[in-house]
Amino acid sequence: MMKKITRLAALLAALALLIPTGCRRKSDDGTVTLKVWGSGEDQAMLGEMIEEFKKANAEEGKTYNITLGVVGEDEAKTRVLEDPAAAGDLFAFSDDQMMDLYNAGALYEITRNKDTIMIENNEGSVKAASVGDALYAYPITADNGYFLYYDSRVLSAEDVQTLDGLLAAANRAGKRVYMDVSNGWYNSAFFLGAGCKLGLTDKGKQTCDFNNQNGVNAGKAIKAFCADPAFVTGNDAVLTGGIGTTICAGVSGTWNAEAIKEKLGSGYAAVKLPTFTCGGVQMQMASFAGYKLMGVNSATKHPVEAMKLAEFLTNEENQIKRFETRAIGPSNLKAAASEAVKSNVALAALAQQNAYGVTQREVLSSTWDPLEAFGTAMEAKSYSRTVEELLNTMVQQITA
Amino acid sequence: MTLVKQRHSRQKGGLLRTMLTALREGDLATRLSFLLMGCGCLFHGQIGRGVLYLAAQILFLLYLIFFGAPHLMKFTTLGTETQHRVFDEEEGIYLITAGDNSMEILLFSVVTLVLIVVFLRLYASNIRAAWEAQSARCKGNPLPTFRDDLISLTDRRYHALLLTPPVILVFIFTVLPLVFMVLIAFTNFDKAHQPPGNLFTWVGLENFRNLFSGSGQTSTTFFRLFGWTVVWAIFATFLNYLLGMAVALMINKRGIRAKGLWRTLFVIPIAVPQFVTLLLMSQLLSSEGTGGAFNVLLQQLGLIQSPIPFLSDGTLAKITVIVVNIWIGIPYTILITSGILMNIPEDMYESARIDGAGPFRTFFSITLPYMLFVTTPYLITQFVGNFNNFNVIYLLTGGGPLSLDYFQAGKTDLLVTWLYKQTVDQQNYNLASTIGIIVFLVSAGLSLLVYNSSASARKEEQFQ
Repeated sequence: MMKKITRLAALLAALALLIPTGCRRKSDDGTVTLKVWGSGEDQAMLGEMIEEFKKANAEEGKTYNITLGVVGEDEAKTRVLEDPAAAGDLFAFSDDQMMDLYNAGALYEITRNKDTIMIENNEGSVKAASVGDALYAYPITADNGYFLYYDSRVLSAEDVQTLDGLLAAANRAGKRVYMDVSNGWYNSAFFLGAGCKLGLTDKGKQTCDFNNQNGVNAGKAIKAFCADPAFVTGNDAVLTGGIGTTICAGVSGTWNAEAIKEKLGSGYAAVKLPTFTCGGVQMQMASFAGYKLMGVNSATKHPVEAMKLAEFLTNEENQIKRFETRAIGPSNLKAAASEAVKSNVALAALAQQNAYGVTQREVLSSTWDPLEAFGTAMEAKSYSRTVEELLNTMVQQITA
Repeated sequence: MTLVKQRHSRQKGGLLRTMLTALREGDLATRLSFLLMGCGCLFHGQIGRGVLYLAAQILFLLYLIFFGAPHLMKFTTLGTETQHRVFDEEEGIYLITAGDNSMEILLFSVVTLVLIVVFLRLYASNIRAAWEAQSARCKGNPLPTFRDDLISLTDRRYHALLLTPPVILVFIFTVLPLVFMVLIAFTNFDKAHQPPGNLFTWVGLENFRNLFSGSGQTSTTFFRLFGWTVVWAIFATFLNYLLGMAVALMINKRGIRAKGLWRTLFVIPIAVPQFVTLLLMSQLLSSEGTGGAFNVLLQQLGLIQSPIPFLSDGTLAKITVIVVNIWIGIPYTILITSGILMNIPEDMYESARIDGAGPFRTFFSITLPYMLFVTTPYLITQFVGNFNNFNVIYLLTGGGPLSLDYFQAGKTDLLVTWLYKQTVDQQNYNLASTIGIIVFLVSAGLSLLVYNSSASARKEEQFQ
């Protein structure tokens, strides 16, 4: 019997070792583990920045263990909301995801050095990173927008002032004008230019008045543009493939600058978007002024260090570094004021267009598909329903 | 024989009855097993078994107390405490305290519920083991030792040894997620109720009501997409089937030379991975800009002036996806039907010929019935597969062209691609889950109905 009991005790003791102790050991040994999410193209650059950060903060007595993950700015929201606890402590995202992230409670409010950040970056980017008076992210770039690239050997500076002039000149030359109208991000240029507004209600629902008289005028302008023989649509590849040969002008952003510069050579030129005829008067086409932001995950274990790192990654030096390595337009005012940035053709055109820029922060992700659907109908020249009817349905879906 | 009889009576008695008997007639150790698992076994000298039971109980209780119960208690509300924050003057930041996370509560509650069921089963078997040990000892029969138990796992209970790992894995990777996702259909887990900042809760059948009410735009979209899904499934299944069979018949025809060559040629499309074919096709048929290769070709031949919107016009896109799907699907049908065609007894054709039947008559009276008899189950799986054919639609058109007639969906979207958009792009998990359940009910119901009324099931014994 005694033997049995000892055997039993031994077995129980062995079992007890297998049982997890319930609480995890806290890492108080000064190691700070942070995960940074950025786009694939940024990885090498971010790696260098992080090394700099570690050097700059070496004497604190903390060991930084910072890992990088490839999650593009465009998919940050989706990936973060899948499982916030497993997402990056810091993640770069484009500002149209701001409200979804904020509504889900995934962003940490930025209070450290808030005033400095707000002063050092341009107003639009700060606005894009804030909800009310509270700052929720660090501005990284101010180049997510679009403007007009054109071939100065075919079109004069006069031609590109108005859409009508542009199309007429293109038709004369037998060339085409590119714009991806079946994409809500681009075709909003007409609606916003006509004075329509996208906004948010107190409850975070989308408001949209694209079906009022101005909107209908803009919709008809889109219809006329799409019906013009010079009009051509498609994805980026269509523009970069055709510009200089079949295409003489196209609406796009800085990410295509290198490719277009190469194709156009001496004819490379960029300018703000043209005006368009809207209900009989000339209106300036607007655009979305988009910003890339760096957010701090509200589920982070090390908020102080995460904010320190985010501040470092988005400071003046690193924004200049971004411009130098990837020609990304800085949101930092001092960085943007440098000669190099100013002499960049594409960034100059963007700055010119940004005067008519509208923040895309107040656009929810559910807004793009209905806008795209409208653009698709116009491009397909399917006129079974009038512009008014289409716009009414569109607004109904956007505000649903 | 006695063993079979014994097992039979044991099954008939049922676990519950055994437990009642054990409670009434059990000795102290057996009764103690009700409180402390494994007592009966330990007392009767089955140390290994007893310790395992006891360990299971301890582990389970620890799990329940420290992890399971806290989540399970919030199961009815899915959490009440939202995330909140306190300002930390020293660091100059807000310290965020995590609130309840409805998703985790739901997930871990499901896990806990499953574990409770497993544990209850184990608990009952513990009492049965104690009772059996007691009765065996009364009768003076030898008790199986732990060694015997282990040996029986490689012998009499070999099936248990083999099946345990797959069953556990199926539970973890299939059953648990399935239950979790099904439950989401009864919550308001959508864009406006995203953890960690917000809570979601139970809403009963509201999602189903919204989908079926017939007035809202989700509802109209659902019914329209459902209609197209059915049309698509019918065309994709039967066109592939009939055309594939036609090609196979032609190859199989007497007098056709180089059969092997033809068969190989027609089956070659399989050699290219499906998604590669689909992506290539979507490039070829594109009408953006000056158009894809196909449009450019047609234009250079002077057949058309401007690109044909193969993928960007609603009706044309629907036709295009069906046609492209034929290209992808026919080779498989050819392969399957060739084999069966060669198996049809030649004497049937011979007697038909003697009776003066023409090729059509032979086809409809002999070939088709025979084919249908053999391939009905194949057709059903094809139909259900096409009902949920994500690849072809998503890679070819992405569901587009988007239309204002639909809510966040395009003309060629199937229910399953719409479901994908609702989860990945729009985060409306509840709607997606509801659609998923309905799709399952429809395809499962249809399969059962068709299969059970088919000749394959009813006249199985008549198959020659």
